[in-house]
Amino acid sequence: MNCEVCQLKELEVEHFEIREVLRCILHTIVFHRALGLVRPKDVDLELFEITYVQCGDVELEKKIDERIDHFISWVEKHPNKKSQICLSFYEVKSKQPSWFTNKTERLYWEQWYVNLNVTQHPKHHSSKSHHTKVVVDPGESAIEERSSRRAMVEASIREVLFQIIKFVNEKKDHVPPISEGVIYFPYEITIPSSSDSAFGMDMIKRMLHSGHPTMLS
Amino acid sequence: MDRESGKLEQIVSQFRSKILHVILDSRVPSLHQQQQESLSLSRVRKTDKWFNLVLGDRPPALENLNFSLRNLLDPMVIDIILVRHGSCSSSVDNLYVPSAAAAAAAAGPSIETVIERWVVQYDCPRVFATPSGADAAVSYKKIYKKCILLLRSLYTQMRLLPAYIIFRQLSSLSQTYNFDLVYKVSSFSHPFSREEEDGMKVYSFAPVEALPGCLCVSVTYHASLSDFNLEPLVSLPPKIITDYVGSPTTDPMRSFPSSERGAHATSFPLRGLRPPSSAPFQRPHSWSSGFHRGIPPTRTQSLAGSPPVYRTSPKPYDITSPPTDLYGNRIQNHRVSTLQQATAFDEYKLSPPFSPSASPSTPTYLSGANPLLTRHCSETAPVTIPLPLTGRSTRYLSPNSSDPSRHSLPPLSPRSSKHDASSQESPSGIRSYRKLEALRAGESPSGLSNLYSAPKVVRDSKDDSGRFSGLLSSSGSPRIGFSRSSSRLSFQDDMDDCEFSCPFDVDDVDVSDSSSQNTESKRASEFTAQSNLVGKKSQDAAVGILVHMLRTAPPLRQDSSCYSTHSLRTEYEGGVGIASGFFMPRKTADALEELNSYREMKDLLLSKSGMK
Repeated sequence: MNCEVCQLKELEVEHFEIREVLRCILHTIVFHRALGLVRPKDVDLELFEITYVQCGDVELEKKIDERIDHFISWVEKHPNKKSQICLSFYEVKSKQPSWFTNKTERLYWEQWYVNLNVTQHPKHHSSKSHHTKVVVDPGESAIEERSSRRAMVEASIREVLFQIIKFVNEKKDHVPPISEGVIYFPYEITIPSSSDSAFGMDMIKRMLHSGHPTMLS
Repeated sequence: MDRESGKLEQIVSQFRSKILHVILDSRVPSLHQQQQESLSLSRVRKTDKWFNLVLGDRPPALENLNFSLRNLLDPMVIDIILVRHGSCSSSVDNLYVPSAAAAAAAAGPSIETVIERWVVQYDCPRVFATPSGADAAVSYKKIYKKCILLLRSLYTQMRLLPAYIIFRQLSSLSQTYNFDLVYKVSSFSHPFSREEEDGMKVYSFAPVEALPGCLCVSVTYHASLSDFNLEPLVSLPPKIITDYVGSPTTDPMRSFPSSERGAHATSFPLRGLRPPSSAPFQRPHSWSSGFHRGIPPTRTQSLAGSPPVYRTSPKPYDITSPPTDLYGNRIQNHRVSTLQQATAFDEYKLSPPFSPSASPSTPTYLSGANPLLTRHCSETAPVTIPLPLTGRSTRYLSPNSSDPSRHSLPPLSPRSSKHDASSQESPSGIRSYRKLEALRAGESPSGLSNLYSAPKVVRDSKDDSGRFSGLLSSSGSPRIGFSRSSSRLSFQDDMDDCEFSCPFDVDDVDVSDSSSQNTESKRASEFTAQSNLVGKKSQDAAVGILVHMLRTAPPLRQDSSCYSTHSLRTEYEGGVGIASGFFMPRKTADALEELNSYREMKDLLLSKSGMK
């Protein structure tokens, strides 16, 4: 079984938009991979005119929020950096126990990479200028700039969501069969750790566990 | 083989139904509301288990559609149509639009535009080979899983297309719009014209292999709906008005400037009154118990000299609407008559305002100022009572909070009341007067007898209010005392006598001297005689004369030394000329009784002095 990877389009978001954007994208992905009996729940974004769908599972919602909190903490420690969140779906396979491996292994069959570029809010000229300048009221221009930027981000989010839909529709064969009583496939959300090298090590570890050389393709 | 084909047919059929359900639930507000109600129930229906997507009850229209599209090989075309209601005028003119349907009816021809077209089709070759055995089972599981995936992505995409925004707008109940979304399901569709295709995009979902054919779902949609000028109608949003006349949370005495005229447009018989001034109402006192609502104190004071209306009287005050100009006078006259009636009844039923301990007398006026008002105030919300046109002096109108007794009038003599009754328009008022007259003639109603009883208490107390209070306590009818003192106010107005400036002066008069029960008939006759002189005057004038007569009545002893104050003597001297003409010879029994009372008083005083 191949591991399908989907690199989503990079989104430029501000710090206060991270939570909403990540919730929207992660829940949309999980909803497409929650093939058990679900009661869909429509959620409206507060910052954008977008409605996404959740599974309605409380535990899932808590876990996702928890990971988002960790990511936000990481972003605060590493400002102005491109970051990536990986949502992986795997199967648990039993394995022959050996010296270096565990009894069970995870077979990742799908990975979603959410690419974010967290930017800082641009400062106004009048607030930081030390020189005597003609202070022009930035009120209206700032509002227009913000609204245009907001529209751009909203359009980008829509593109990402359409990308998810397209990916889900085009690739269905790698999805494992539905187990009885299971609502969604086991998943894992990986956020960048304190060091970039550690993030890479996590990926290598995954390679070793899965044993699929084509996983990173 | 039939079993396998049956399974496939079932999957395809349910798949079509599910897609139709998802689409209509996300595009038709009415169906969405039904679904929301059904989703509130926790139970999972059989139809929900199909494709593991709980959507709630299928609307009945859906079942009918499924029945009409039984041929699975025929495509199912679902058109989402935007209906824009034409308007001959701008939306601003339609300030009130009760509903979109009404707006549509009032507007011109509507324009229908297909903004989305969903096509669900099972492409199957005519001749095919169905899988069998284990392969078929695996095949159906895969088909079923892929159908689930397709439905998930379709469900998500339904919320990303532009038509979803319109659906959400229509689903909200806060506003009405000049457009609507309708749907049409058929097995064929007219192709779009070139103009219609402009601005439309097509998205096709990956077909689901369902051997021997495949399930195909595609959508043609308008990428942008901004060209359609969709805007809400300018309408008055429903607003709950909590501040209205008669609301339990509204101050009943609050003025409603916009409703002042409306207040008079009601069925209150106050219609004949002059329109109210812009002065706000004064809040009634707490003990007014609602009877005085809507009546500002100033107005009632202008109707001073009138006895309070004892609204607890079972007899209704059937007073026709008097002319506006004369309303005040007529009301006053009637007030006197009603007082007479009231005195004939049990005064214990009267409300607290008539008790001596009552606070400001204003409410007394309120209740007695206008029997109509009192009657209606108990029935309806307070209204503005206009100031009647009266030429009365207002100097006696200000309530004296220290002595509420002055605001009531004494009972009139039967003849005076009778005469006054003749000027009344209300037949019931006349009847009340006649009844009172009958009572005065021979009987001694409790009220009247109590009025003239307990000479001890009265004589001991020289204080005006104390005497009255003593009188009142003995009689148990404080209202009488009030009525007596207030009657002089109207008399003042008519007689133009400055001596009535202080209502306490009435108490200085030994009215109690004539309050013995045996002299009751004499008083009645005196009152009657005097009333003849003032028969032609107003009701209040008659009452005033009565008060004056009582005040200037000669003592039983016919001795000026009985008066303790010089002022009293002066009054007596001035008044005796008036009253002497009406002095009746006293009986020996009366004199003897008085003598006995004085003797007892003397003994008492002696005993007290002896103890000291």
